Amino acid sequence: MEADKDNANPTIINPSDLPSRRRSAPTAKRPGIFDALAPAYPSLADAPSPPEALSDVSSDEEREEIDEQEVYDLISTISDPEHPLSLGSLGVVTLDDIKIVRPTSPRSRISTVTVLVTPTTSACSLTTVIGLGVKVRLVNALPPRFRIDVRIKEGTSKTADEVNKQLGDKERVAAAMENRSLVSVVNNMLATCE
Amino acid sequence: MPTTLTFLATCTPPCNTRTWQSTPHPHLPIVATACSDKTVRIYSLQNFQQLSTISGGHKRSIRSCAWKPNSLGESVLATGSFDSSAGIWRRWEGENAAGTGKGQEVDFTAGLSGGNGAQDDEDDDEWRFAVVLDGHDSEIKSLAFAPTAPLLATCSRDKSVWIWEELEDDNFETVAVLQEHEGDVKCVAWHPKEELLASASYDDNIRLWREDVDDWACCALMTGHEGTVWWVEFEDANGIYTLGSQENLNEEQQAYVATRLEAGPRLISCSDDTTIRIWRKASKNKPAASGARMPSIWKNRDFEEEWLEEARLPQVHERPVYNVSWSRKTGRVVSTGSDGKIVVYEERWRKDGAEKNEDVVMAEGTSASESSKSVTEEVNGQDGHRNATEWIVVAEAENAHDVFEVNHVVWAPRADKGKTTDDEEVIISTGDDGEVKIWTLSD
Repeated sequence: MEADKDNANPTIINPSDLPSRRRSAPTAKRPGIFDALAPAYPSLADAPSPPEALSDVSSDEEREEIDEQEVYDLISTISDPEHPLSLGSLGVVTLDDIKIVRPTSPRSRISTVTVLVTPTTSACSLTTVIGLGVKVRLVNALPPRFRIDVRIKEGTSKTADEVNKQLGDKERVAAAMENRSLVSVVNNMLATCE
Repeated sequence: MPTTLTFLATCTPPCNTRTWQSTPHPHLPIVATACSDKTVRIYSLQNFQQLSTISGGHKRSIRSCAWKPNSLGESVLATGSFDSSAGIWRRWEGENAAGTGKGQEVDFTAGLSGGNGAQDDEDDDEWRFAVVLDGHDSEIKSLAFAPTAPLLATCSRDKSVWIWEELEDDNFETVAVLQEHEGDVKCVAWHPKEELLASASYDDNIRLWREDVDDWACCALMTGHEGTVWWVEFEDANGIYTLGSQENLNEEQQAYVATRLEAGPRLISCSDDTTIRIWRKASKNKPAASGARMPSIWKNRDFEEEWLEEARLPQVHERPVYNVSWSRKTGRVVSTGSDGKIVVYEERWRKDGAEKNEDVVMAEGTSASESSKSVTEEVNGQDGHRNATEWIVVAEAENAHDVFEVNHVVWAPRADKGKTTDDEEVIISTGDDGEVKIWTLSD
C-alpha cells in the first residue's frame, strides 16, 4: 500500500507552526485586528466549532462575521485520504490561501469563500477527492449565505483546470455526494473534524 | 412606470432539501417539481398547495422532469434521475380535464385526503410508474419531449444525448445515441416547429442535431461560452411578433424582420461564465463567407447550419447562470443562478438607430454602476447587420430564495384568483432551499 501513494514522504508542518487564534500567526501576517474579533476559544483544541454552533451564528447573521481563521479551523483538521495526517499539517490548506469576499452590494447578502488547495505532489490523483472533502466540509459547516469556491492552487497540479471545473459544478458535486463509495471516502476524511 | 417583479406565494409544503426544476403542465394549472429527495412534487398554480407526490421510481435525486405535450385526458410526466434512468409516469385526468383547455375548473384537491367528494376512484388519482428507460451510463441531467413528433431526448454526464421514439404507449425505442460532446450534457431542448434538438454541455459548447437521411447527426456547433453551458431554449415560433407592430418600421428594422423571419426561432443559452447569449441561424445566402468557416469534413452542405451569436443580454449575474426561460407570450426572458437573483429582460427596437452600439444610453431600471454594460453587447453577424434591437433589464429580484442559489425559473400562465387577464403570466422559481416560489411582473 505504501508504494501506491502518490507522495509517500510528505513534508509535515510542526503543529506549533500552524496558524491558530491562540497566538499570532507564524508569519505575523495577521496583526492585532483579529484579537478584537477573537471569540472565546480557550484553546486550539476547541477551535473547530461544531456546525451547529455556526448555524446559530447565521441566524444572527451580521452580529458575528466568520473570518479566514475560522474557515481554516474548519478544514485544517480534515484527514488526508492517504496519510494519517491533517490537511493543515501537510500544508494542503493554509491560512494564506483562504479568502473571504463580503457581499458586493449593500442589497446582497452573499459572501464568497475561496480556498486554494495545494496538493502534496503535482501528480496527486486524489486531488479531486481532497477538494471535494474541503467543499463538503464548508458547505455543511458554514451558513448557506456563503458560496464555497474550492480551487487547486495555480501551478501545483497538472490537472488543476479539470479539477477546478468539477469542484465548481454543483450538479457534479451533488451527484458525487450520492455515490456511496465517494461518500465513504469523504466521511473518513471528515471524521477527524468533529 | 417601472416594471416590478413581486413575490406572490410559496408553494406549500416546501421540500426540505434542494429542488432542481419546476415544469408547468402543458395545459393544466399545475407544476411538477424535481426534488433531490427522489420525488416529484405536483403543486397547484391555483392555490399553490401540493396536490401529490410522485415517489418510489428512482434511487437517487430527480434532476429534471418534462411533460409530454398534446396528451389530453392523461398527463404523462418524464423524470430524469441521478440514478442514470428516466421514468415515464401516467395519471388519468378524468373527463373534466380533457377537452377545452378549461383545466382550471378541475378540482385537483378533491380526493387527495381520502377521496371526500371525489367522483373519481382513488386509483385515478395515483401516478403510475409506467416504464423505466435505461441506457445512460451515469446521471441524467435533462430530458425533453419533442412538440412535433413522438420523440423524447435525454442527456447525461456520460456525454451522450439519446433520442427515444415512443412507438406506442410505453414502448420506447432508442433511435439515436449522439456522442459528439466532450463533457457532460447538461440540457436538451427541442425546436418548437421542427425536429431539431439543441444540447448544452460541460464542454462549453452547444450543438444542434437533426435527422440526416436515416441518421441523427450534429448539424451545428456553437462555440463561445467560456464555461459550462447550463441551459438552452428556443424562442417561440412567433417570437418576432413580440416586438410589436410590423408597420411603420424603418429600413433597418424591416431588414431585421426579414432576417429573423428567414432564420426562424432563435436559441438562448446561459453559462457558468455568467453570460446569457442569443444565437440565430445564419442566412444560407452568403456562400463566400460561410465557405471559409466550414470544416471540410462535413459531408452534406445542405444539412449543416451555421448559427451566430446575435446578442448578449445585459450582464447582471455575478455568478454562474443556471437557467433562462423565454416567455411564449411576451418574448421576455427571465434568468437566474448562483447569485440568487431573478432578472427579467425585454427586447426592443434600438431607439437611436444611427448611433454606434457603444454609445447607446443605458436602460431605465438599472443602477448607474451597470450603465457601461447594461445594454446588449451586439455581435455583427456574417450577414453584416448591426442588430436593430437591443435587450434591456426590466425587473430584478435579489435574494429571491433568501441566501440560497436558484436553480430554475420558468414562465407559466397565471391561474390563481389574482389573475386579471387571460394572457397574464407568472414566473416560477425553484431553489436550493427546497422552495418553489411564484412571482408576478407588473407593468
